[in-house]
Amino acid sequence: MTELPKKTNKKLGLVIDLDICVGCHACAVNCKEWNTSGHSSPLHDVEPYGDDPTGVWFNRIHTFEVETEVKGSKTVHFPKSCLHCEDAPCVSVCPTGASYKREEDGIVLVNADTCIGCKLCSWACPYGAREYDETAGVMKKCTLCVDKIYNENLPENERVPACVSSCPTGARSFGDLADENSEIVKLVSEREGYDLMPEQDCKPVNKYLAPKLNKDIFKNNELKPISKDENQSFEDWIEQVQGASK
Amino acid sequence: MHPSKSIIFFTVISGTGYGIFIGLLFNILFEEIVYTIEYKLFLSLVSFLMIVTGLLSSTLHLGHPERAWRAFSQWKTSWLSREGLTAVITFIPMVLFYYFWIINIKGYILLLILTSIFSIITIFCTGQMYASLKTIPSWNNRLVTPIYILNGITVGSLFVYSLNFYFNYKLHLFEKFIYIIIILNFVTKVIYWISVRKKSNTTIETAIGIKSNNITFFEGPHTGKNYLTTEMINAIRKQNSNFLRITFCILSFITPLYMINQYSYLVADPFILKISMIAVFILSFIGMIIERYLFFIQSKHVVGLYYGEKY
Repeated sequence: MTELPKKTNKKLGLVIDLDICVGCHACAVNCKEWNTSGHSSPLHDVEPYGDDPTGVWFNRIHTFEVETEVKGSKTVHFPKSCLHCEDAPCVSVCPTGASYKREEDGIVLVNADTCIGCKLCSWACPYGAREYDETAGVMKKCTLCVDKIYNENLPENERVPACVSSCPTGARSFGDLADENSEIVKLVSEREGYDLMPEQDCKPVNKYLAPKLNKDIFKNNELKPISKDENQSFEDWIEQVQGASK
Repeated sequence: MHPSKSIIFFTVISGTGYGIFIGLLFNILFEEIVYTIEYKLFLSLVSFLMIVTGLLSSTLHLGHPERAWRAFSQWKTSWLSREGLTAVITFIPMVLFYYFWIINIKGYILLLILTSIFSIITIFCTGQMYASLKTIPSWNNRLVTPIYILNGITVGSLFVYSLNFYFNYKLHLFEKFIYIIIILNFVTKVIYWISVRKKSNTTIETAIGIKSNNITFFEGPHTGKNYLTTEMINAIRKQNSNFLRITFCILSFITPLYMINQYSYLVADPFILKISMIAVFILSFIGMIIERYLFFIQSKHVVGLYYGEKY
């Protein structure tokens, strides 16, 4: 079971656009909400209202300040969940076969009935995608909302992972990354989507799109203060700002 | 990494139990000793208890110890599974060896050789489980597995030595064997400590995939701790770790070398000397616990990069 499939028919995954993400944490909250009653339910919290709460989350947003060539530095919000790797090290280290990668769509899952809670898979994952549920004594992880994306009780347009449906800015896209004609693959090639930690040789399926660096943004169109001209409305000023950032 | 007590205790005590067979094998092959039944029974009992308590304590850190039997199934890919399987297989020649040796039936040497080989394979699997994790650069090192094996042989041999000393067995080559093992172990350990200073090629740039000379951690996903931060992000102050490294070297290497070399010059009651030699074994065992503790607490998992850890 813990032998990885040589090839999966589909490579379902996410593409996360760091240029768009505003770091609102809505995807993480909706993820917790959906999954606490889904495939791996419940996602336990320990002392949720105490001084030192902890709990299982499948999706977390980290924020970095990145110094760029362009004047100033950029704040990058970085959502991170399981990347459903092709060479998932978390699967091959599992001693019981509880961790597995599905041949039909490449989703990496844990069977909570056979997991012994040895935690080795979480050590093997470089991305910190797996979180141990102390209360249940088993490892849990992102399921790519396997119970939502195939759920025939939902209207077709809602059959996407919870993080994707909740993103208010459209920074997350879901699709089959093995299908070269799909929108998601086009997006990746257009924006040069990349792998996280390629040197760890996990071949992650999920791709990230880098924040754009508009080098001209400060060059010619330094933002001017709002005009003292009383005739200029707020809308005019918005247009002026938008013009400057194009 | 979080230094889990049961894992530290398990790896050191079962490693010592397995190492006893290597020390005993050397004695049976190269020393002319007629073992008394008390010696045989005591050594058998101690080595057996060490291995069994070690294996039982290894299940203590599991979330579901009652499902531990499932861990034997995935030997094709998982070093942890291989370790469990070889540990169980080792019991077959081991128990047969105890029986043949205590009853004094011919063929016990062959069984001891088999037990020793399987013992080394078992420690090898334990070491490989750690050494195969790319995510922890200081474990993903060629010397990790040899050190696991050498540590087992060092403490196991010291146990056999202190027992021989207690039973007044005259030794010719075994003392030299211990010198060589300890020096080899020490040299390997020092080379390992130097080699883990090398920086990993996994950096914050590859972790988030953005090229910049200066990436700083601005904000975590939450203000509290989580499983990842408590399990993977641990640290020890440099001065404390240096102190513990020196303590380990004194307890596990220098004290036994000094005592084995100097006991004949020490003016002491023979019984006190015998007890001291057992104390030397116990101290070296404590030293190994310290070494294993450092092995965990000083190792850094690359996931720390996402939480602003510096490497």
